[in-house]
Amino acid sequence: MAPPPLVTGISPKEGPPGTKITIRGENLGVKANDLIGVQICGGDCSFEWQSRNKIIARTGINGTKGKGDVIVTSLSGGAGTSTVQFRTYTEMIGPLKESAVWVEESPVQSLAWGRRTMAPSGYSQEDPLGLSIEGNEKKFPDDLREIFPEHSGDLSRENFSPCWFLLENHHATSFDDLKAGYSFLKRKVEGQKEGQLSFLKTHVSAVIDQLDTLMNLKTKMEIEGEIDLAKRVNNLQGTIEKSIESSHELFDDVLSRREKADKARAALSVLNRYKFLFCLPTNIEKNASKNEFDIIVNDYARAKNLYGKSEIPLIQKVLAEVDEIILEIRRKLHQKIQEMPQGVEQQKRFVKSLINLEIQQVGTIQSEKLKIVDPAWGAIESRARYIEQTFKNTYEEFQERENSMKDNSKRDLNAPPIRVLFCEEITEIATGQFPDLWRLGQSYFTGELRGINEPKPGNFKQIILNAIERFCSYVRAAILPQNQKFQAVASWAFTSSSQLQQFSTWLPTCLRYLRVSYASLIRLDLPGEALDIVLKLIDELRLFCLTTILKRAIDKVKKLHEKETWELTVPEFPGATALPSKLEEILVEVLDEGQQICLMMEVRENPLFDTPNSEGHREVAKIVETILSCFSNVVEELATERSDDEVQHMPKQLIGFPTNSSLLPHSINLTEAKSTISSTITITWEHRLLCCLANSAYCNKTFINSLGNLFVKFGYPIPKLALENSRTIVNNVFSNLLEIYVEHKSDPLVSTIEPSMYIVSHFKWNRVEKFDNLSPYTHECLDNVVSVYSEIFAVSPFLLRPILEQIIQTIAEELARLMSCVEEFNVIGKKQATLDIRMIRDVLRVYSNERAKASFNEALESIPKLANDENREVENLLAIIKQQMKLQLMCLTVLNP
Amino acid sequence: MSKKVNSSVGAALHKVIMVGSGGVGKSALTLQFMYDEFVEDYEPTKADSYRKKVVLDGEEVQIDILDTAGQEDYAAIRDNYFRSGEGFLCVFSITDDESFQATQEFREQILRVKNDENIPFLLVGNKCDLNDKRKVPLSECQLRAQQWGGVPYVETSAKTRENVDKVFFDLMREIRSRKTEDSSKSSSRTKDKSKRRKLKCTLL
Repeated sequence: MAPPPLVTGISPKEGPPGTKITIRGENLGVKANDLIGVQICGGDCSFEWQSRNKIIARTGINGTKGKGDVIVTSLSGGAGTSTVQFRTYTEMIGPLKESAVWVEESPVQSLAWGRRTMAPSGYSQEDPLGLSIEGNEKKFPDDLREIFPEHSGDLSRENFSPCWFLLENHHATSFDDLKAGYSFLKRKVEGQKEGQLSFLKTHVSAVIDQLDTLMNLKTKMEIEGEIDLAKRVNNLQGTIEKSIESSHELFDDVLSRREKADKARAALSVLNRYKFLFCLPTNIEKNASKNEFDIIVNDYARAKNLYGKSEIPLIQKVLAEVDEIILEIRRKLHQKIQEMPQGVEQQKRFVKSLINLEIQQVGTIQSEKLKIVDPAWGAIESRARYIEQTFKNTYEEFQERENSMKDNSKRDLNAPPIRVLFCEEITEIATGQFPDLWRLGQSYFTGELRGINEPKPGNFKQIILNAIERFCSYVRAAILPQNQKFQAVASWAFTSSSQLQQFSTWLPTCLRYLRVSYASLIRLDLPGEALDIVLKLIDELRLFCLTTILKRAIDKVKKLHEKETWELTVPEFPGATALPSKLEEILVEVLDEGQQICLMMEVRENPLFDTPNSEGHREVAKIVETILSCFSNVVEELATERSDDEVQHMPKQLIGFPTNSSLLPHSINLTEAKSTISSTITITWEHRLLCCLANSAYCNKTFINSLGNLFVKFGYPIPKLALENSRTIVNNVFSNLLEIYVEHKSDPLVSTIEPSMYIVSHFKWNRVEKFDNLSPYTHECLDNVVSVYSEIFAVSPFLLRPILEQIIQTIAEELARLMSCVEEFNVIGKKQATLDIRMIRDVLRVYSNERAKASFNEALESIPKLANDENREVENLLAIIKQQMKLQLMCLTVLNP
Repeated sequence: MSKKVNSSVGAALHKVIMVGSGGVGKSALTLQFMYDEFVEDYEPTKADSYRKKVVLDGEEVQIDILDTAGQEDYAAIRDNYFRSGEGFLCVFSITDDESFQATQEFREQILRVKNDENIPFLLVGNKCDLNDKRKVPLSECQLRAQQWGGVPYVETSAKTRENVDKVFFDLMREIRSRKTEDSSKSSSRTKDKSKRRKLKCTLL
């Protein structure tokens, strides 16, 4: 249990019942409801707990008079003690008594004037004991009160106490003197008691004197007569009137004092009543400095309601002062509203307060001094300005940063480039600031912030559009390549291509930032026009992003030749390699990425390829065409690429060249070299050439068309035109390569025919001696054709016809030329030549085109006509030879190998 | 008076009265001494009473402080209060010359009521923390204390508690020494009194 309460101080220490007392001490309760009672002079009090050392109490009316303890009782400490004492007294105050406190007179008045009219309170018997009281100082009024409670030393009181009186007035008087005084008093009382007779007896001389005087008076009056009497009466009347007057004066004085007091009291109560109004100016300023404008608005409204129509000049003056201050606050609020940055809620609060003040102040003189402008509109404008400024600052800051970055090239390549950071920052700003602006505008137009004026329509939309336009143009400047259309606002060109390169990989990130802020704008229910601005930017960015991704494929395709393995892996098209499928892989990869990032539509986005001939279509088609032409280039390059070691492989020559001797050692070297090379390069150039031919044919026929399906699968439009174009390109590649190959093969083959025919054996058609077999050149020619056949067949049977047809045509033409040049045939020579050519013609019939057939006929016609028996002879031999070479030539007879 | 001393727990009781013009800081000094608190808001005093135990030079005594009203309105009732006082702290504000001039009247009133030139008395210049607003030169204060028969002059600050304890304790020491003087002077008479009382008791 806590120590009991101890009261060590009271303020004031005395007073009538109902006095407010401040009690101080120790342990006066730990909290308000711990304090359960205060007793002063034995009477309970109302009290208010302030702290453990202070209580404010009001004494009750039921306490005893006089001094008494102040007892505080708390739950925690129980009943306490006090070292000081309070004195309760009742003040008896007459109308003439000076008093420091105003006492309500009205009830007292009736008492005082009613009962005690003839006994003025000031009256007191001077010295009832007939003793001198000089030297008797009144020393003990305090103590006497204590000793004789309920008593008084006043002779006129009912509770008169003789002891008190004596102690008060005669404490220094000796006992003998007191005795004498007593007998004096006794005598006086007895004198009054003894009656008239004894009274006359004791005062006989005086009575006689009085009688004499009365007699004298009578005779004098009789002499002076009536007039004199009347004069005297008048005199008396005058004196009485005078005294009445002076008593009135006295009373007037009292009345005037009362009036004064009343006035003071009225003034005090007025002050109290209008305290609110008089304190208003200071309160307003105090609240303004604390930004508590709501309170100001309330106070002002209250003051307006209460006193606005008052005609009292003082109140009007105060109100005018208040209005002046309000005016100042309105100015201040105007500034505050335009201050940026600040939260939109706070801004709205300011605007509301300002509008309230404006509305309330309408009609006062002061309101004329400040034009009412639409504060909400000002807030919107300043916010819009702030947003634009923020964009600009951010833009410039990042531009500056990039410029400074340029100097130190040690930058981490994996870190996002400045532009990406800028993009992130600016979209964040947009996401953060636009909602504020929009909400502000909405509350303005829904009337929440509406002032006296009607809202201005139209402009707000323009502000929103402008702000978004500005935002988009900064983003555009930073991210998209320079575009003539939008260069007006700012330009932030890429200074180097490597920078652009590095940045382009971050495009999807930028797109994501932009989309996030776009989504947040959509949630705001912005007008479609505003969203469309962003949408346009997003679409552009998506397209740009897509093209960037697709362009990456170009680079990859360009490097495809490094990946060629020369493995024949396409089952449906023998001879084609894995190269096309690699292309497909690359395409799948980029198309997939493009679809994921760019094609997939998010909320309120348009498909990139909604209308044919759109920019998206054109871009994609262009890039696809580039990719495919690159691919064609790769194929062509692969075909024509030859290492220096590799030298043209000569067709076999049975009969040596005239330069045989000189060529032979070289060819031996060649075979040796080849055998060494074969360990490293297992695939010959012809083989690769054929593979490439097959690839291009494959592409032309099926692969490119199948790519179309790929586009469909990933949701892209089929770039038909681009595919067609690339097919043409591939076709060209095919023809080129074909030409190369045919030339490569037929030139040596054809050129061996003539030497073999003439030079090696010094052969002359007019000197042919025997006719039993084919000429050696025929054998050789056929052998060569078969070997080419086998080479092609090993790679791709599809290629047989186009290649062989060409070769055979040149053979036929060569034969026709050679035959037409022969001047003279002998009989056997005739037969021999017919045999040879017919043999070649028959054997190569399957792969002969029209021109070849015509050339063969031409060659046969150049030979002089054979007789019938000769013809039969040739045919017989032909049949025999065909039979003999059946196995060798069988391959050439198969139509569709 | 003697009755009160007897009724208390035995410790000597010293009655101190605060006098001085309104607003010089009498209550502030009192509350600072009593409760270590500085009251900022001004509320005129009528008459406040405080009493607590303190240790004066190792001896437990009780100090009774009567904090009086400074305002002229109450001048009439001062006499009664002054009568019971055993020592006086006459306070003025060093920032208010009028309050300093008023001390002269207070001094005279006290001497008249107590009829004793050597009554324990201290002249106290309060608000010495506001030295920059000083209106009463230190020399003038000291001169006046000198003229009054060499009463001590101390400057205090109820706000900073500077010299607050000092003035109360110094005054209590003076009161104590006065009491011992008095008792030694009239020791014979008190003896007589006690004898007489005893006799009376036996008679009763």
